[in-house]
Amino acid sequence: MSKEKQQVSRRQFLNYSLMGVGGFMAAGLLVSPIRMAIDPVLKKTAAGDYANAGISVDDITTEPQRVDWTIEQVDGWYQSKPSKTAWVYKDDNDEIVALSPICTHLGCVVSWEGNDQYPDQFFCPCHGGRYEKDGTNIPGTPPLAPLAVYEQKVENGILFLGNAISRKGA
Amino acid sequence: MKWRSSDLKQYQNAKEYIDTVIIPIIPFQIDLEMLAFQSEVLTIFANEIEKELAGRVMLMPTYSYLKTVDPQSEINRINAWIANIKEQPFTNVFLLTFDANWKKNEKEVHGHLLWLPSVKSGNLQSNEMKAMIRDQTNQIIELIQVYW
Ligand code: FES
Repeated sequence: MSKEKQQVSRRQFLNYSLMGVGGFMAAGLLVSPIRMAIDPVLKKTAAGDYANAGISVDDITTEPQRVDWTIEQVDGWYQSKPSKTAWVYKDDNDEIVALSPICTHLGCVVSWEGNDQYPDQFFCPCHGGRYEKDGTNIPGTPPLAPLAVYEQKVENGILFLGNAISRKGA
Repeated sequence: MKWRSSDLKQYQNAKEYIDTVIIPIIPFQIDLEMLAFQSEVLTIFANEIEKELAGRVMLMPTYSYLKTVDPQSEINRINAWIANIKEQPFTNVFLLTFDANWKKNEKEVHGHLLWLPSVKSGNLQSNEMKAMIRDQTNQIIELIQVYW
């Protein structure tokens, strides 16, 4: 009798403690989205994070050229070094322009003069999306917004690029 | 795009634009370092291609098989994958591999074989390797576009 009683209470104890663990897990699930939002370690990029794009200002011409660089990124699960790409050139006012190569339609990588039929335009190989040199999407092709523009700054004659800022559709 | 939940949502909304699938095909034998290395390189290739063509291509989970297994049964198995994928529908299915054995049976496989001449070893972080991968990726992308 007393033995059985003991067994029951042990089982109860187990049940309680299991529930306790479950409760902790549920609380964890509830808390984590907030944690994601405020924990600086989990933030993808802090504002004002510029990375060396690996090109000196003197090498930038009026002809868009592709530059690739890598950034350090921590996103909760992985610490990785994703590679980034930009199309970089100097416009008519001698200002540096750095465009994101990501097609605003569905995200393929566009190329400057990627199609012989369309000189002086960016071309998307996936569904024929096209953009003017300044990144404006050409009406009648699938993209509905211009290419994003990178934040940029120049230090010691080297180009540093930050976040890509999207722009409104033409 | 990749086979993950966020991309699948995008796929459902833009199905008519995404008509191509890439399946990396990787032979597997646990103690063969060369195969492990090739698997790493092939994964990089697959990801690079996906990145460039993300709006029209879906990268499938890797198809792995035992190096020692009878080729005919693998041909049947991969064809079952391809048949299932084509139901979606997808029009173009590309198989990405270093394993030349597939080349021998190319005609029986119901997808386009993208066979890459193999790399045996090397340093994945080296500049030569990166340049090689960049260059090969561009060539594969051009080849894929021929089918579009
Ligand atoms: S992804 Fe560029 S046109 Fe569709």
